[in-house]
Amino acid sequence: MKSEREVYRNRIELLQGTLDMLVLKTLQWGPQHGYGITQALRTRSGEVLQVETGSLYPALHRMERHKWIAAEWRVTEQNQRARFYRATAEGRRQLANDRSKWETMVAAIASILEA
Amino acid sequence: MNRWRGFGTRKRDLDEEIASHLRMAIADRVARGATEEEARAAAECEMGNLPLAKDVTRETWGWVWLERLGQDVRYTLRQMRRNPGFAATVIGTLALGIGAAAAMFTVVDHVLLRALPYKDAGHLVQLQEGGRDAKTFFYTPWVDLAQWREQNRSFEDMAFSTGMSGRTYLAGNSAALLVGGTEVSENLFAMLGVKPALGRGMIAEPPGFGAVKNAGTIVLSDAVWRSAFGGDKGIVGRVVRLNDKPYMVAGVMPAGFRYPIDRGANGQVWTAIELGAKDQGRDYDSEHYEVMARLRRGVKLETASAEMATIQKRVAAQYQDAELREDHSVVQVERYQDSLIDTNVKRALLALLSAAGVLWLIASVNVTNLLLARSTARQREIAMRGALGASRGRVMQQMIVEGLVLSGCAAVLGTGLALGAIRLTGAVAPIHLNVDFSTHVDFTILAALCGLTLLSAVLSAAWPALIAVRAPIEPALKQGGQQAGSGRRHNRLRSGLVAVEVAMSLTLLVACGLLLRTIYTLRHVPLGYRTDHIIVANLSIPSYRYVNKNVTATLYQPLLERAQQLHGVQAAGLISEVPLGQTFNIMLSLRMNGNNIVAALKTASPDIQPIFGFKMLAGRYFNHDDTPTSAGVAVVNPAFARLYAPNKHDLNSLLGLTVWNLRKDTPAKIIGVLDNERQKAVDRPSQPEVEVCLCQITPGGSVYNPITMAMDLAVRTERPTAEMIPELRDLLRQASPELANSTFSTMDQIVEDSFGSQRLAAHLLEIFGGSALLLCVAGLYGLLAYVVTQRTREMGLRIALGAQRANLLWLVMRQAGAMLLLGVVVGVGLALASGRLVRGFLYGVKAHDGGTLAGAAVLLFLSGMLAAYLPARRAARVNPMEALRSE
Repeated sequence: MKSEREVYRNRIELLQGTLDMLVLKTLQWGPQHGYGITQALRTRSGEVLQVETGSLYPALHRMERHKWIAAEWRVTEQNQRARFYRATAEGRRQLANDRSKWETMVAAIASILEA
Repeated sequence: MNRWRGFGTRKRDLDEEIASHLRMAIADRVARGATEEEARAAAECEMGNLPLAKDVTRETWGWVWLERLGQDVRYTLRQMRRNPGFAATVIGTLALGIGAAAAMFTVVDHVLLRALPYKDAGHLVQLQEGGRDAKTFFYTPWVDLAQWREQNRSFEDMAFSTGMSGRTYLAGNSAALLVGGTEVSENLFAMLGVKPALGRGMIAEPPGFGAVKNAGTIVLSDAVWRSAFGGDKGIVGRVVRLNDKPYMVAGVMPAGFRYPIDRGANGQVWTAIELGAKDQGRDYDSEHYEVMARLRRGVKLETASAEMATIQKRVAAQYQDAELREDHSVVQVERYQDSLIDTNVKRALLALLSAAGVLWLIASVNVTNLLLARSTARQREIAMRGALGASRGRVMQQMIVEGLVLSGCAAVLGTGLALGAIRLTGAVAPIHLNVDFSTHVDFTILAALCGLTLLSAVLSAAWPALIAVRAPIEPALKQGGQQAGSGRRHNRLRSGLVAVEVAMSLTLLVACGLLLRTIYTLRHVPLGYRTDHIIVANLSIPSYRYVNKNVTATLYQPLLERAQQLHGVQAAGLISEVPLGQTFNIMLSLRMNGNNIVAALKTASPDIQPIFGFKMLAGRYFNHDDTPTSAGVAVVNPAFARLYAPNKHDLNSLLGLTVWNLRKDTPAKIIGVLDNERQKAVDRPSQPEVEVCLCQITPGGSVYNPITMAMDLAVRTERPTAEMIPELRDLLRQASPELANSTFSTMDQIVEDSFGSQRLAAHLLEIFGGSALLLCVAGLYGLLAYVVTQRTREMGLRIALGAQRANLLWLVMRQAGAMLLLGVVVGVGLALASGRLVRGFLYGVKAHDGGTLAGAAVLLFLSGMLAAYLPARRAARVNPMEALRSE
């Protein structure tokens, strides 16, 4: 049973680099709450990426702690109170950094696979 | 970001954040056409295990440990409420161990590690001259120490001092105050690194003849300033009277300053030494000073010692008298701190500290055993927690928190016990042991206590927890119930622990037994004199009132006559120091009949012999025909006779020999040999002693000044002590007001007090040994009771299969017997090994005394078997039907 926790942890770990990057990217379009981020990632990935709540919130809180994102309570258009996150300057730098790393890696993996 | 926001607020925030997520997910689905219920189910399904998600999120805050700690503490408190007996046993046991250790530590810390009220006290040393045999050391005449000061390179500064002779009275605002007075060199305070709190103290001036700047000035201690002058800030510059001589107050030392450390309980005063005629030579009449010095930075004690040895070779060569030259041939350089501690007391305290340590160990082992037994009983619970997802670390943490909470309670209780114990120790500690028990547990002690507590918590909780956590989960769950195998290994471990407890307890019991036998033997040593119905007053003599008078004729003789006339007094006598009094010591060093003689010198009135019932081994004691004008007389003791009698087998050969001259042309001749063995301590034979007749001690005589300084009044009476003492005090007050301060005791009490460290050690060991026995018995009982409960079904089965109840009784008793036997065997070994620690305190009994060993072993074994009998009987009474059905 403790395995469930480990599964979560593994998933976070697998996605860690990419999830952070994807969340930061999503926040580039404007402040967003957790549910909004999930929905945005799903639509923009063509319904391929489904982010688990158990991965998203730990990631959000961790990034908040790293000061990559900042949070505040706001009311949505549907008049729902929600916690909105926005990327900080540091978060944007992190995104650029992550992205260049990601592109290098994709290129490297691609060149191996295509050889 | 609000990192420091309250944990509760953040937790609510997260709950709300996730709830809003859920609401939005539901709202979206409803908007797409699902019913409310479907939407909720789908959203919840998609979001998965929310509490776990929250948990993992909270972990990223780094707060969770605190939350869990809170949970664990709450859980522990619940457990304690549910099983108060267990909690009480654990807490009580640990408190006993911690209390004993903390109490002993407080006392030892206070006595041995005492911080001196001086700057860098570790660099202060005491210098004393002594003979090559390094047995006796003497203070130093000025001419010697002046050369030390000039020639040494090891010391920053060297100061000297001498206690004022006789008792010192300072006239205060309202009454005369008995104070400890010391004459000091002007640089002493500077060398100690302490400045006066008021005034400028003594003026720096090179010491030597004709140094006058500080003459007639006095420095007061804080205590004296407060009690005699009410803390008057304008005291500096005022003239006060010390022993009726005027002195100008030059300063008041800060509170807590003392020098020397162990003089004058009511406060101290210091005046400047004025060198005089007696400081010009090196002979028997010279004034001798206590010398203190401060080591230069970086100079080792050994280096200083070596340098002083070289210097002293030149110094000693200047002595004219051969005997004196020998007595001053070497210099001992000792740290001042070390010189203050009586080795006997030190040894006693260290031995007792180890005894308290052993008791603490026993308590810890006992608690470990209890927790171990319980953790086995809780195996199922622990397995269940594991099955529900608790990690091993988490379970370990919880068990350790339990241990910490239990030992925390124990620490609080133990501190209380320690305070009580210190007070108790103070009550039994003999006065002359010079150990101050009026201490409160201070910061160091509390820190040490916390260390002990943590250690015991880790010791007693972590280990059982580790074992419990390591156990595989499935079998515990599958077998269920208490019968689940505690396993042979665990049983053996617990039996081993009980055996260890037994062994350590036996060691304490043996030590206790040995000291009790020592005390018993000491009480039955034939002293050679009677101690019943004697009241003793150690007179507090205002010597200054008698400076130019004949104190014998003006104070002592009239006092004696009046005391003899008091109602109910059969006889009254005066003596420098009653046997075992330990209040006074003058050593006489002279030549008699071609021998060099060293002997204690005392003076006494004739009635002392009937009061104490001293036997005469030869000749006669003083009587009323001995007068100031008759022939000089002296009495010696057997120790003297053994060493110096011309014919060792005939005491009479001493009679008529001249010991020395009382005055010019008045030789003191030996007229008798008095049997006063055991005059200094019951466990040591007497030293050579010479007594002279009090009435023949007159001004101008060679020993008049030193010997009239101290006197004990001994009174034989059939009346109750409590009635007599006020009357005697009144009588003394009439003779001179200061005499009312005299301390009263009875001879029986003085004998009892003289057992000193043995009595202290015996009393404490009684407590330690008794506690150890109790813990041991409780531990054994607890373990067997637990084992029997666990094996109820097995017992039932055995009976059902035809086992006799006696067999079952025997089964349990055999197990107990094996543990006890193992413990006793190991314990005897330990006791023999630790005999070295107590040997120094024993008298009339050997450290490996067979009787005591056997007695303690039998006592422990029988108590253990008794403790085992109760659970064994329960095992034998098991009802097979119930036992089998209960599962």
